[in-house]
Amino acid sequence: MTQTESSNEVMIELDELTKHFPGQANPAVDKLSLTVKKGEIVVFVGPSGCGKTTSMELVNRLIEPTSGRIILEGEDVTNSDPDELRRRIGYVIQETGLLPHRTIAHNIATVPKLVGWDKQRISERVDELLTMVGMDPDVYRNRYPKELSGGQRQRVGVARAMAADPPLMLMDEPFGAIDPITRERLQNEFLRLQAQIQKTIIFVTHDIDEAIKMGDRIVVLRDQSHIAQFDTPEAILTNPADDYVADFIGSGASLKRLNLSRIRDIEMATDAPIGRMDEPADELARRLDASEWSAILLLDDRKRPTRWVNAQDLRRPGFDPTTMGLKARAVVEPHATLSDALNELISSNGGCAIVADGDGAYLGVVDLETIMAAVRAMREQHARFYLAAKNPDTVEV
Amino acid sequence: MATDTATEHPEETIGAQTGTPVKIETSSTHRSLIGWFGMPVFLILILGATYIWIQGRELDSIEQRVLNQRVLTEKLVEHLQLVAVSTAIVIAIAIPLGVILTRPFARRAVPITLAIANGGQAIPSLGLITIVVIWMGIGFTPVIIGLVAYSALPILRNTMVGLQQVDHSFIKASRGMGLSPMQVLMQVELPLAIPVMIAGIRTALVINVGTATLATFFGAGGLGFVIFQGIGLNRDPVLITGVVMASGLALLVDYLAGVAGHFLSPRGL
Amino acid sequence: MTFSEYLSNSYENLIELSLEHLQLVAITMLIATAVGVPLGILAHRSSVLRPPIMSTTSFFLTIPSLALFAIFIPVFGLGSPPAIVALTLYALLPIVGNTVAGLSSVSPAIVKASRGMGMGSWRRLGLVELPLAWPVIVTGLRVSTQVTIGIAAIAVFVGGPGLGNEIFRGIRSLGNPGAENLVYGGTLAIVVIALAFDGAFVLVRRFTTPRGIR
Repeated sequence: MTQTESSNEVMIELDELTKHFPGQANPAVDKLSLTVKKGEIVVFVGPSGCGKTTSMELVNRLIEPTSGRIILEGEDVTNSDPDELRRRIGYVIQETGLLPHRTIAHNIATVPKLVGWDKQRISERVDELLTMVGMDPDVYRNRYPKELSGGQRQRVGVARAMAADPPLMLMDEPFGAIDPITRERLQNEFLRLQAQIQKTIIFVTHDIDEAIKMGDRIVVLRDQSHIAQFDTPEAILTNPADDYVADFIGSGASLKRLNLSRIRDIEMATDAPIGRMDEPADELARRLDASEWSAILLLDDRKRPTRWVNAQDLRRPGFDPTTMGLKARAVVEPHATLSDALNELISSNGGCAIVADGDGAYLGVVDLETIMAAVRAMREQHARFYLAAKNPDTVEV
Repeated sequence: MATDTATEHPEETIGAQTGTPVKIETSSTHRSLIGWFGMPVFLILILGATYIWIQGRELDSIEQRVLNQRVLTEKLVEHLQLVAVSTAIVIAIAIPLGVILTRPFARRAVPITLAIANGGQAIPSLGLITIVVIWMGIGFTPVIIGLVAYSALPILRNTMVGLQQVDHSFIKASRGMGLSPMQVLMQVELPLAIPVMIAGIRTALVINVGTATLATFFGAGGLGFVIFQGIGLNRDPVLITGVVMASGLALLVDYLAGVAGHFLSPRGL
Repeated sequence: MTFSEYLSNSYENLIELSLEHLQLVAITMLIATAVGVPLGILAHRSSVLRPPIMSTTSFFLTIPSLALFAIFIPVFGLGSPPAIVALTLYALLPIVGNTVAGLSSVSPAIVKASRGMGMGSWRRLGLVELPLAWPVIVTGLRVSTQVTIGIAAIAVFVGGPGLGNEIFRGIRSLGNPGAENLVYGGTLAIVVIALAFDGAFVLVRRFTTPRGIR
């Protein structure tokens, strides 16, 4: 999430944008109005056929609107030269559309050439962009698209869209055709990149999980691009506007919400008993007794969690902290999401997940109670917000 | 000569219904040694063997009248002129026509144009040229018109197919980046269609070399003269010389067009 | 003499020449099919034999038709034999090429499934691969027939039969009254035959293609 509080300036405004294809009874896009602020990622999400891609293609006028206005950076571009307009808007599509007969560098240089940059500037920009998307310019500059993997091609597609530094980028299911593992990596890379470059982005997907992950704000669309809800991912997950949105989010809404907060944002439990490996057993047993826990966590000399031992282990003759008890598993870092923590917690078969910093040093633990509490707090917070700001009838707590 | 016919769905195959031989270079980036040098070596061997055989014979006066350097050079040059001029004209007509017919505004004209072109292909080459000659008289120009009419379809069709098979995502992405329709045509569609278009030109070249052998009947000369002299005078050395020269020219032109296609096709495809 | 007068005068002659033309094409196609389809199967099954088979057949199609007719005169003399041999060589490539293309277009999953059911190589060919490749092979035959019908007109120059004789008679008397009628008549008859065959092949293909893949 790269929510920017810095700027509330409007990047683009769509005003009752409508597309009525000849020969069809109903408009494909019906009076779509919305504003996108500078530096935010707005995701259009909806089932196939809802008009989300058509809506996006109206923005750069690959499809000419039947009526309505497009205002880009305060300028009405509804009737301007479409080619000029498109050169100001980056465009990434699922199939990448990299030209197979041109090298990677040549592909990225397309728009800079169109707008008349000089050679030196273009080649510097190409190298800069390749580096930015994590590809070594010396290796990839002169390759052809067919010599790259799908993930690499999509990276080049993003680099190409950013080439002439357009203020606005349109991304049409950019990671849709990529295997899940690579997609996850590309999404994370892109979010990291976006934190630096702060582009304004309209992003189309049919995948609500991707929308939640990528969007600062999400537009849930229904038929004819009618807006069902336009809000932050948190708000949409917590307070879906109606049954349509709730259905679209699906039954996993509560679980999806766990993706929204990170361990560092919640109260973790710090009251778990801990001890050092070299402490005597009776000292450890005394500390365990004093706590409400059934086991004590042993840390090594660098404060890294090693084993859980319980009272029985401690009472055994010849107590050996290196073999007895259970190995400490389910270690997560503070920037992990609650979903990650829950996953670790369940798969480790223990009652809680251990939180450790980047060097592995113990910070605290997260158990089911902690996660539940966080979810409850999140829900209440939004409920209060909605009660104050919106129709109280829509709130379900 | 790694050629292939009808590799796709039969109904969509270029020239499938027309009786036109189609050459689609199988896009192998590396060619074997035989692929590169087989044809030149073969041609040198055949031409050399024929030359030695003719040289070693006592030619009678009738044979000498045809089998001398002056006549053979003249007929070869005439033949080359017929092929070069007709192919140049047919390229100049059929490629722009193919481009126009693939633009959205011309969509309605496509079926009728292809129907005429396909139907026209049922006319035998001999009849077609003769009819042009009946209308225009004998000579170089009517023969050229006949050749152009007969070889237009493969180039027209391959231009259209080549442009139509360009993946729409390339066009969409390019339009989305702000390329004008003309820029998309020049920078995206045509470069990507080149391999298929060159295959069409190659087919047209081969057709023209073959059909031009009939030109001698209509006062336009060419290597057909040598073959017909061989048949008419009942002289095998003359006939074989004509056959070897005409066939050698066809194979050479086909080979060179294949090589040109290899080098003119954009890298990265 | 108008064209219609010419037709009413010499329709019997035209029909006779058309029958000759048909006969020439039919013999050629029978031989070319009998040779071409097995060659195509061979080329499909053997990656070693495929390049020589394909390049040899396309070699014949590259040779000017007149040259290919003429080269067999020293061997067979004038008449039908050189015409039939040359036409057959000419007709091979579309048949071989489409047989290979048709067989290659059969889904590997279907081939695998029939192997899995215990079909041997020949049974698979007969029961699975050829029926599925059939529409493509028929198209090859159709292309080949069209080529042959047109090129067969050239057979007249090696003393062959058929409608080329009518056109050639016209060429020899060009400038004389009525000469153009001979050319028009011969050409028109060839076009009619070509279109009739084309229509026939559409029907053949439709009625010989298994219903499931029509």
